[in-house]
Amino acid sequence: MIAVLGLVVGVVAGLLVRPEIPAVMEQYLPIAVVAALDAVFGGLRAMLDGIFDDKVFVVSFLCNVVVAALIVFLGDELGVGAQLSTGVVVVLGIRIFSNAAAIRRHVFRA
Amino acid sequence: MSDEQERPEHRLRRELPAEVPASEPEYGGAPEPKESAEPQVTGRQRLWAGLWPPRLSRAQLIVAVLLFGLGFGLAVQVASNSDSGNVLRGARQEDLVRILDELDDRTQRLEDEKQGLEKQREELQSSSDQAAEARKQTEEKERQLGILAGTVAAQGPGITMTIEDPKGAVKADMLLNAIQELRAAGAEAIQVDQVRVVASSYLSDTDKGVTIDGNKINTPYRFKVIGKPQDLEPALNIPGGVVQTLEKEQATVTVDRADKIVVDALRQAKQPDYARSSAR
Repeated sequence: MIAVLGLVVGVVAGLLVRPEIPAVMEQYLPIAVVAALDAVFGGLRAMLDGIFDDKVFVVSFLCNVVVAALIVFLGDELGVGAQLSTGVVVVLGIRIFSNAAAIRRHVFRA
Repeated sequence: MSDEQERPEHRLRRELPAEVPASEPEYGGAPEPKESAEPQVTGRQRLWAGLWPPRLSRAQLIVAVLLFGLGFGLAVQVASNSDSGNVLRGARQEDLVRILDELDDRTQRLEDEKQGLEKQREELQSSSDQAAEARKQTEEKERQLGILAGTVAAQGPGITMTIEDPKGAVKADMLLNAIQELRAAGAEAIQVDQVRVVASSYLSDTDKGVTIDGNKINTPYRFKVIGKPQDLEPALNIPGGVVQTLEKEQATVTVDRADKIVVDALRQAKQPDYARSSAR
């Protein structure tokens, strides 16, 4: 419950504050958000499976964000930033979908 | 798949260990002890247990912090993305260069198109100007010719000449002399009584009096003449001129200058039967 509250508060704060994103961060934020979403869905699935571990969640969350940003950064340096970030989004999207399928099976039993 | 097949049995058994949720708060811990409790607790129950009642555990707090960060980033990204003005902010350098090139191309194309259209507009305008100018000149010419031909009314400075002829001594040739004299002095439009005098006008004596173009005119003969008054009046009054000749015949002649003479007697335009314009 508190976790959900945290999410809601974060969205509201983001909408209210509307901070200027530093130019350096601009390209990494969307990918980082998608990576974090993947981690959140994974965590939710783990919780429904009963194998949720906060330490694992924290590490996977941060790792996802950092790795995603790193891949984009590397892609930018190599000159294939657009393609690579597309690839990252695709992979994360697939993972999110498979996690969502597992969650759905738990919640709706279908 | 295997879950679904097992579920019916679980559901029946689920009722028995009702006290299991008591140990539930630590389901977030190591997976090892969970395996034994797994059959009794479904995912849905775990979800509800996690949502309500709210518990202030370390796991919940940490997850809340991370989710706060996620929500914040999500909202910021969505907000900055939905700002239409900032569409280009996140774009890469090569994209920006491409967009710039495209814009340049487009500008060039539009510029060309604009030039073409402007040229066309200029042409149309000048041609319509020319047409208007030609029409104006034609109208002007028509008016001038109309005054000469007597098909339009005319007004302007000039003189009036009244010839009183109680004895009936004034003949057509004398009036013709007067008209010739006026023409020579620069008269531009002449009207005698209600008859317009034009190039083809003729005067003749009949037993009833003088006629112009077959229309009888009565004494006193009133001439309305448009022209330069300073030229017309002396032309009539010169010694041995029209006035003296007429007065010799006992006629009374009065000549008045006027700033505005209106010659409004008209004559039908006549299409020539044989003569055709040879100009052009």
